[in-house]
Amino acid sequence: MTLNLDHFETSLLFAVFSSVVLGIVTKRTTDERVKYGLYCFACFLAALFGIGWFMRILHG
Amino acid sequence: MPATTVAATATEPIRSPFLVILLAWLIPGAGHFLLGKRGRALLIFACVLLSFLFGVLMRGPLFQPSGGADVLSKLIQYGGFLGDLAAGIPYLLVSFFGYAPPDSASHVSDYGSKLIVAAGLLNILAMVDAYEITTRQKE
Repeated sequence: MTLNLDHFETSLLFAVFSSVVLGIVTKRTTDERVKYGLYCFACFLAALFGIGWFMRILHG
Repeated sequence: MPATTVAATATEPIRSPFLVILLAWLIPGAGHFLLGKRGRALLIFACVLLSFLFGVLMRGPLFQPSGGADVLSKLIQYGGFLGDLAAGIPYLLVSFFGYAPPDSASHVSDYGSKLIVAAGLLNILAMVDAYEITTRQKE
């Protein structure tokens, strides 16, 4: 069995896993962890779309 | 209880930091589980294992502790190897069973190799967190 995920799908997976772990290890209460995890995920998404559009504009 | 005894108890490690770090490395989340943080342990275990599994299913190659003559290739290979190794038992198992994806320059396998390294790096974060809980620097 092999998976053929594209760059966007792989980046989304990475964002989900990283956000969960970052939320767990950086904050002290459950509420703070959930908020920080969602914040990290939003930042990953913003970077993904931002850099994606930047490269599209750069390459024409 | 005398004040000095209370102060000494408050700074003593909950468990052996070495044992916690070793377990946290071998089985992702096991350090937190040992410290009674079961919810966090489960999430860490799931994230690290899923990241590693997705990487393997995408046929991502493992980094080897070798490299070309230039410093940059060596840095990438050794750094990637340490990242892979940090995933613990998942890495040891796939190495033991001779996981060897085809040596092709596919972009999917390239993404896979990054997910495998990411699994190890996330596990390092979890190991540091478990160490800080053990030494009472955080709860």
